[in-house]
Amino acid sequence: MNKTDRQSPPPQVAPEVSGLQSGGTALGRYLALMALAGAPLVFLAKDPYWLNIIAFTYLMGGLAASWNIIGGFGGQFSLGHGVFFGIGAYVTAIATSRYGLSPWLVMVPAAVLAALVAMLISWPTFRLRGPFFAIATMAFNEVAFVLANHFDSFTGGPRGIMIPFKAGFANMIFRERWQYAVLMFVFVALVVGITVWLRRSRLGYYLLAVREDEDSARASGINVLSVKLQGMALSAFLTAIGGTLFTMYLRFIDPPTLFTLQDVGVKFALLSLIGGVGTIAGPLLGAALIVPFENFLRAELADALPGMNLAILGLLMVLAALFMKRGVVGAFEDLLRKIKGKKGGQ
Amino acid sequence: MSQALLQTRGASKHFMGLKAVDDVSLSVNKGEVVSIIGPNGAGKTTYFNLLTGQLAPTLGEVSLRGQTINALPPHERAKLGMGRTFQIVKPLIALSALENVMVGAFLQHARMADARDRAMAVLTRVGLGAHAKRRAGDLTLSERRRLEVARALALGPEIVLLDEVMAGLNQSETGRCIDLLRSLHEEDGLTFLIIEHNLKVVRAFSERVIVLDRGRLIAEGTAEDILSSPEVVKAYLGEGHQWTPS
Repeated sequence: MNKTDRQSPPPQVAPEVSGLQSGGTALGRYLALMALAGAPLVFLAKDPYWLNIIAFTYLMGGLAASWNIIGGFGGQFSLGHGVFFGIGAYVTAIATSRYGLSPWLVMVPAAVLAALVAMLISWPTFRLRGPFFAIATMAFNEVAFVLANHFDSFTGGPRGIMIPFKAGFANMIFRERWQYAVLMFVFVALVVGITVWLRRSRLGYYLLAVREDEDSARASGINVLSVKLQGMALSAFLTAIGGTLFTMYLRFIDPPTLFTLQDVGVKFALLSLIGGVGTIAGPLLGAALIVPFENFLRAELADALPGMNLAILGLLMVLAALFMKRGVVGAFEDLLRKIKGKKGGQ
Repeated sequence: MSQALLQTRGASKHFMGLKAVDDVSLSVNKGEVVSIIGPNGAGKTTYFNLLTGQLAPTLGEVSLRGQTINALPPHERAKLGMGRTFQIVKPLIALSALENVMVGAFLQHARMADARDRAMAVLTRVGLGAHAKRRAGDLTLSERRRLEVARALALGPEIVLLDEVMAGLNQSETGRCIDLLRSLHEEDGLTFLIIEHNLKVVRAFSERVIVLDRGRLIAEGTAEDILSSPEVVKAYLGEGHQWTPS
């Protein structure tokens, strides 16, 4: 009871809080981050092996950042984003291979469709909290897998869909790998740019408030369901765009490529977790660490001992979950605060 | 003389067989300060939740400015001018104090810059102006309580419901908190409905006190009358205790 009463500490120990800088520094940080992210593309532009890895890193970074909007900021741990990714991919593949439409034209309507589907399946599942929500969304991913296999007149079923190689900007098919890498870079820059904006917008604050405590959010006048649906729609929209780009890069899709959990739905979440969930740079950082490493493991170990690459990756993720709960970005922030705290004489 | 701002008529909440709130009728007038006291488990917080919309009443009616709001969800009630704090404070710990308050300020100020100005003004009002940029997670309990009040004030409410906002504060912190609430009441004309365990606070701040016990409203009156009523002492402390008001 009788704790010694001290005056509230003087405000000189005031660690800067991310997100509250003026618009200028936020933009500066964003540009610095994108310059850093773009550097490998510039330096390795001649190497097709690395360009492939770089393109995938950007794509996965953009997809993880899309997931992070609802999974990180909104705290709704979706494992069903493969569904939206798949919608983007299938609509693009069908429209281009069967009807000869340009992927550029198809991309946005496909993303709108994904956003609508996202709202439709989220409406009931948002009643569930925490792990139950995650499991329900995972189930939707499996349903999508089954449906894609079943409706083979539409999706090609297990045979998948092949998109013929007709190079040209209008077809979003390029001769050079670096052109794809640039395309993926634009995608990740767009998604990260949107998260930067979102983090400073009313919707962004509302998503954070909902993540932290729904009751308290409601008391602040926030319509929790509506905010979650908006966040999910935006997240699904961007994920579907990623699906379009993925399809045009590979020019072949089938259900296992799109709906294998550990490669798609769970992967988006994992990359964010490793990098720092709910942060701006986290998903991109997670992709930059994991995607190249995965490629390395697959190349070096897969032949020697089948499955070894996955085992090592799994182990790393367990370690990260144990010791870096807030991801690389979180660990870095903690370190920074510690150093600042010491300087402040506390 | 004054119009009922927030009112319940025969409000009850039953959980299975348990009558957590049982037939409580109360009206809070504009500009009043009303305290709810009662022993643990008396149904105070459940009653609060009926008022804020967290729970729907099993029976009876909740109304705001004469309009029945039984079916209105909490966020709609917030828009109608009802602010509340929670017994367990849950600030957005990763955000700054200012950003925490901005979340509430958005309700009336859609533009970022306006919301920030409003939030800053409210923070200053509760005495946290100097702490605007600090992480909410780094604030002391006393500061977090103030932040919680600021979050409610940012909504621009007419009535504020405080659920044990002084719990865990020491004497001098409690004193400062009472001063703050009193000035919000007197200068800004806010109406307060508070749940409070600390009877000193009840005595110092409230104009009217109601006592809940086992879900029922067992007494209502001025702080002086209530705190010296044998029935209330009995409900609080059990039989055979002597109450010595200090």
